[in-house]
Amino acid sequence: MRALDIAATGMSAQQMRVDVISNNIANMSTTGYSPRRADFADLHYQQMTRAGAINAADGTVVPAGVQLGLGVRPAAVTVTWEQGSLQATGGDLDIAIEGRGYLEVTLPSGETAYTRDGALQRTGDGLIVTADGFEVNPGITIPTDARDLTINADGEIYVYFAGDPQPQLLGQLILSGFSNDNGLEAIGSNLFIETGASGPPLAAQPGQDGLGTLRQGYVEQSSVDAVREITGLIEAQRGYELNAKVMTAADQMLGATTQVR
Amino acid sequence: MDNPGYTSLTRLSGLMREMQVVANNIANISTTGFRTEGVIFAEHIAETGRNEPSLSMGTAVGRSISGQQGALQRTGGEFDFAIEGEGYFLIDTPQGEALTRAGAFIRNEVGEMVTPDGFRLLDAGGAPVFVPPTATSMALAPDGTISVDGQPLTVVGLVVPNDPLELSRVAGTAFTVQSGYSPAENTRVLQGYLEASNVDPVLQVARMIEVQRAYELGQSFMDAEDTRIRDFLRTAGQRS
Repeated sequence: MRALDIAATGMSAQQMRVDVISNNIANMSTTGYSPRRADFADLHYQQMTRAGAINAADGTVVPAGVQLGLGVRPAAVTVTWEQGSLQATGGDLDIAIEGRGYLEVTLPSGETAYTRDGALQRTGDGLIVTADGFEVNPGITIPTDARDLTINADGEIYVYFAGDPQPQLLGQLILSGFSNDNGLEAIGSNLFIETGASGPPLAAQPGQDGLGTLRQGYVEQSSVDAVREITGLIEAQRGYELNAKVMTAADQMLGATTQVR
Repeated sequence: MDNPGYTSLTRLSGLMREMQVVANNIANISTTGFRTEGVIFAEHIAETGRNEPSLSMGTAVGRSISGQQGALQRTGGEFDFAIEGEGYFLIDTPQGEALTRAGAFIRNEVGEMVTPDGFRLLDAGGAPVFVPPTATSMALAPDGTISVDGQPLTVVGLVVPNDPLELSRVAGTAFTVQSGYSPAENTRVLQGYLEASNVDPVLQVARMIEVQRAYELGQSFMDAEDTRIRDFLRTAGQRS
C-alpha cells in the first residue's frame, strides 16, 4: 500500500514547512534577517502504462498512459531577499544597507563571512566590529579623540578632531554582492559564508555594481511578514492533517483487506 | 477463484491505484506549480466462451492532468514567476527539454536562472536566461520580457504542448512531451508571485472517501463470494 508512504512524504514535507516558518517567526526581530521559504517538488513517477505505447496492431497508441506519483520532496529552502524596513536608532555606528550587498567580516578563524546586520560596535581600541566582536573589513580604527563620526552613503567614514574644522577621512566600508544569494551558507549570528553555488563575492564601493548604499543611524529590521508566515502556518497545519487523513484511510483499506478470507 | 472474484479484484486493484493518486495529490498540496492528477477507468471486455455473455472488468487505462489555474500567491521574490493562463516555462534538464509551471527560480553562481534542482530556464530562442549579477533591478513584463536596469534583455520562453494529452510527468514538477510544443499565446507571467498547487483538498478528500467506501464494498462482495463458494462446497459435500 503505497498510499501510506506517500502520505508520510506529505506529512514530513508539511512538518519541514512548519520548521522553516517557526524559524522565521522566531527571527521576527533579528536585524537584517530575511525570511526563508521551503519549496517542494514532486517525487518520481511510476510508469504503469507509458503514454504513446502501442495499444493495437494497427498502431493505435495510448494517448495518456498511467503514471503514479510517489509523493513529495523538499526541493530547496530559499531565502526571499526583500529589503527590511529601516529603523532609526540614532547610533553613529548603526548602518543599514539599502539595496543588495553584504558587509564583509573576518571571523576569528581567519575566514571571511558576510552579513547584513549593520549594528556595529567599536572595541576598546576603536576597531569597528560586529555585535559579536568580529572585525569588519577593511579594519578601520577610530581614534579615541575623534568626534562626530559620519558614515556617508558610499561608506566613507569621516571624523572631526578637536581644533580642526575639516573632517578627516578614516576609511571606506565596502560591500560584497553575490550572483546567487541563495547559495550562501548561513552559519548563524546573521553571518553567511561563500560556497560554490553562491559564486565569488563581487566587492565594490556601496552604490556601485548594483550594490546598495549605506545609511547611518538606522538598522535594517527583519523582513519577516507575520501575516504571510501565519497564513503559511495554517496551510501547513491543514496540509499535515489532510495527509494524516489519507494515512488513516489507507490504513482502513488495508484493515479491510486483512478481514477478507 | 471464479470470474466474479476476478472482476471485483480488478476493481479493487484499480481503487488501490486511485488511492495512490489521491495520496500523491494530497502530498503535493504545497508543491509550487503542481497539477492535479486523475485516473480514468475503462471497461476491459473478456470473453468467457462461445455464445456466453462477455465479462467486463475495470482497468485504469489513462489519466488526466488538470489544467486548472492554481492560486497565485504573492511572495515578493525577484525570481519568483507565475504563469497566468495556459503555457509552461521551458527548462533544460539532463534528459532534454522539459516543461514546468513551477516558477520558483534561483540565480546560480554564473547568473543563469535555474530551478531549485539546478535546471536552466530557457528563453524564447532556447538559450539559458542570464541575468547579470551586477544588475540593480530586474523586472519581468507580463509578456515574459526580462529587463535589467530598464533595458530589455531577453524573453522567457513560454510554450504550450502540441498535444496536451501526451504530457508525461517527470520528477521535479516537470513534464515532457513527445510531439513537441509551440510558443504560447495570450499567456501572462507575473513577477513576485508563485502559482500554488491546483489540488483542491475538498475534491480530493471526497474522492478519497469514495475510493475507500468502494474498496470496502468490493471487499464485502468478495467476502460474499467466498461465503457462496463455501456454502456450495458444504452443501455439495453433504449430498454425496
